[in-house]
Amino acid sequence: MTAKTDKGTVINMGKKEYWELGMDIDGDHRLGAWQIKEIIDLTLPPKKTTKESFVTELPADTKSAEVEVKVTRLAGSKSFELYRVTKKLNFEK
Amino acid sequence: MKYLRFILIVAFISMPLIAYAEYNSIDDLAKAYSDEACKSCHSKVHEEWKSSFHAQSVVHSLGGIRNFIVVGLGKEWNKPVSKEHLMRCMDCHAPQLKDASEALIKEVADLIVKAVDKKDEAAKKELAKLNVNCVVCHNMKVSIEKNLHGAPEKGTYYGPNGKASPAHKTQKSNVIMSAAFCGQCHGIYTPPDGDTIGCNTLYGSYQDAYKGNGGTETCQDCHMKKNNRGHTFPGAYQADILKEGLALDANITGIRLHPGKWIPTAIVNVGLTNKAGHRTPDG
Repeated sequence: MTAKTDKGTVINMGKKEYWELGMDIDGDHRLGAWQIKEIIDLTLPPKKTTKESFVTELPADTKSAEVEVKVTRLAGSKSFELYRVTKKLNFEK
Repeated sequence: MKYLRFILIVAFISMPLIAYAEYNSIDDLAKAYSDEACKSCHSKVHEEWKSSFHAQSVVHSLGGIRNFIVVGLGKEWNKPVSKEHLMRCMDCHAPQLKDASEALIKEVADLIVKAVDKKDEAAKKELAKLNVNCVVCHNMKVSIEKNLHGAPEKGTYYGPNGKASPAHKTQKSNVIMSAAFCGQCHGIYTPPDGDTIGCNTLYGSYQDAYKGNGGTETCQDCHMKKNNRGHTFPGAYQADILKEGLALDANITGIRLHPGKWIPTAIVNVGLTNKAGHRTPDG
């Protein structure tokens, strides 16, 4: 998620990653399928909506900004951009 | 006595062919489990399958299998490559290898390591002959109720309708329509020695988090029936099904924060709804 000010400054508003963390019995992170005996589930659960909020203060003299929300799925070495939403915000009275 | 002798002769001739068939080359094994004959009557389905990751079940997973051979067996367990151990991966990635000789198992393991470490395209081409093809799903893996219905009959093809065919024996199977059928490989795998393989945990999430919350669809409903996907089985590597399984609700607004200071502030509230029948992401 990024915001671009009217002066062209790109501000990283935040990023949230969802993934499944594999572990061995000793609680150490493991990648090999034969090593993984437990998981910590940091994924999006089925039939549920997961909510995230990002509040980002911009430079005081910002008159307008463009905010972009992007959802990307990583699968192996591939990357799929699933959604991109942008909105221009105006801060002038 | 003549009758008894006949029975004994039949037993001695046929037993090795049925129970002890062991193949020493990839070509012979691939021929024994070939999908070539299926093409003439099921060309559309075969074409769909060819574009699927089931058709690349070994070559698309070479890195992980190579790591098990080199790191798991070679360094951590300090055990030689054997059929017992390689089948931890191959019972799902190429179940035909259950009929391979130990020599062929070693050859396959060498090819996998060569294909990854030396980027050997010839090795990869050989390994591409092994996959999850028609015979695997429509015969070999259809036996999740072995004790109730017996093992699959050799030469019989099991499908959702059991429609008779002049080319082979056919039998209706409810198993092949069930999520439990897919769960054999798309969930935690337990080999005979009980040392589990956490390659894929999808089916556990389907059972506990999806069905446990009232979900009623099967894997086949979304990955085969919907949008006429058939035997292409799209999944984590196809954008359309990924997008279908995830909804985004993004609310973006700007306010001036801190009275008196009036700092321009962007506020974004996002809702991500997982519409799939399992956790996402998962393999």
